[in-house]
Amino acid sequence: MSGAAEQAPVLQVRDLQAHFRTHYFGVNREVRAVDGVSFDVNRNEIYGLAGESSSGKTTLIKTIAGLLKPPLEMVGGSARFSFLPDWDAVGRAPPEVVRAIRWRHLSYIMQGSMNVLNPLRRIKHSFRDFAWRHLGGSKAEFDLRAAAHLERVKLDPSVLAAYPHELSGGMRQRVTIALATICKPEFIIADEPTTALDVVVQKDVLGMIRTIQQEMGSSVLFITHDMGVHAALTDRLGIMYAGRLVEDGETPEIFARPLHPYTRHLIGSLPRIGDTEQREGLEGTPPNLATPPPGCRFHPRCPLAMSVCTTTVPAMIETLSGHRVACHAVNPGMAA
Amino acid sequence: MLAILRDLIRYNLEFRIGLFLVSIVVVMAALSVVSPYPAGDVYVVPPDLPPSTAHWLGTTSRGQDVFWQLTAAIRNTLFFGIMVAALSRVIALVVGLLAGYSGGWIDRVLMSINDTFIIIPLFPILILFYFVLRDSMSTPLLATIMACLGWAYDARLIRSVALSLKTREFTQTSIFSGMKTHEILAREHLPYVLPIVFSTTMNNMNWSIGIEVTLAVLGFTDINTPTIGGMIYWANQHTALVAGIWWWIAFPIGLVVMTFVGLFLLAVSMNEYIDPRSRLARMGGGR
Repeated sequence: MSGAAEQAPVLQVRDLQAHFRTHYFGVNREVRAVDGVSFDVNRNEIYGLAGESSSGKTTLIKTIAGLLKPPLEMVGGSARFSFLPDWDAVGRAPPEVVRAIRWRHLSYIMQGSMNVLNPLRRIKHSFRDFAWRHLGGSKAEFDLRAAAHLERVKLDPSVLAAYPHELSGGMRQRVTIALATICKPEFIIADEPTTALDVVVQKDVLGMIRTIQQEMGSSVLFITHDMGVHAALTDRLGIMYAGRLVEDGETPEIFARPLHPYTRHLIGSLPRIGDTEQREGLEGTPPNLATPPPGCRFHPRCPLAMSVCTTTVPAMIETLSGHRVACHAVNPGMAA
Repeated sequence: MLAILRDLIRYNLEFRIGLFLVSIVVVMAALSVVSPYPAGDVYVVPPDLPPSTAHWLGTTSRGQDVFWQLTAAIRNTLFFGIMVAALSRVIALVVGLLAGYSGGWIDRVLMSINDTFIIIPLFPILILFYFVLRDSMSTPLLATIMACLGWAYDARLIRSVALSLKTREFTQTSIFSGMKTHEILAREHLPYVLPIVFSTTMNNMNWSIGIEVTLAVLGFTDINTPTIGGMIYWANQHTALVAGIWWWIAFPIGLVVMTFVGLFLLAVSMNEYIDPRSRLARMGGGR
């Protein structure tokens, strides 16, 4: 994606902070689920976000998409889309503006997207409910368009008349992708869209996401904990740990030269053909984000931990060209 | 729709009986259109005749043919039940879906009102209404009052379903795609609660007919409109049982019991049909 680098990024996230704030029975709790995340997503690329469960991936993209519901609050920073230049985050724009850009410019394939389709509505009704208002035109025109778009994901137009339970898991997933892409949005957020599928269907669906994305020239923010999927699909990759981005760069580069110890463990955990050795697991569990460890949040589990790691938050530094990492062991003396 | 009906008739005895009873009641109500005597007139036939070929169910002490009087009465009573059920369903759907979906203070306000209606003692209130309104009390007015008092239980039921629908992915996606609240409620959530609403409709009709008959027997309604309760009221006024005019009381009671049992069986079988597990078990596909 060399040509894309010259253009302005579609999404610029700067020092984004999103916390869950609750006060019950006089106790204030603040869970810093996303704490100071910065990255760019360029035009016509698939940016992957990786990290284990509860590392704040879903919270991050909910904040970016403006799906903020109490107790989740966007506390600071910005997440600016190129198609929404007047506001520094979707969540800060007025509801009419948000309603107008969502689905048309920004669509979202939800986690557990097997259930995105209302089981009591035919597929064509789901299409009409979600996308008709954004595309306009007569009902017949819209149905034709939906049928044409379904063919793009290799589904028969007769699927439109079916109920979701009549379709297989892979077909439903393809319908979901068709639903999210029919308006040709500039930006698609995909939250673990293939997690529930078996590997054969998964490969199929991933290829489809890639094809559609290239046809439309849109950008995709792709979230999954499955490093294999990232290797196969994404152009650039960001690694999250405990609400912070610890490393990002081009996907082949990260797989070839992981810098952060956490990334090294993630990639080291992938089995390779011909392997006979037992893979080593990382000790411990991700920290409780209500009381995160001071300094680098990874230090209690880090094999390279030094005394500076326990006190100072490491800065995100571009160590190699287009490859940023936040680690004292890699960039000594760079505090955030 | 027809296939569902066919399955229900084939596999469900309760539904067959219920359908049979309700059909008789509906046919009776429909016959009121061809009645030879105006329903409101008295002394159109010789009074106090026992059932015979000329007057199938006998005649009343007021000189009315019991059979034709009954057709008009059951029509009005059924109409009343349907009116209450329809009106109260609308209120229950709006309140239940909105409260469940919106949550927060909207939910709290609506449910406080809802719970108030649940604990209000119904019968004294209705009698109070009768005494206040008296001459202006008519069947549509009573139906409206009953509908305003009879929605609360179902609104709670619908709210409980809406609460779970709210967290489903398709609701989240609907919100994300820019659908407005009323669109989400009408298009995405309404289909989910309709089956529940269908089955509670029958129970609600039973409940409202029961109350109407009770009020009418005691004379707390517009007694000049022929209804089942109204017929029993006039029979009591003429001491029909003491005078041995049993047919004046027995046939209205028999018909209203048929209505109750029929609607109840329909509701029960519908309930069972809505639950796919019990439906399959009955059709022999369960195990």
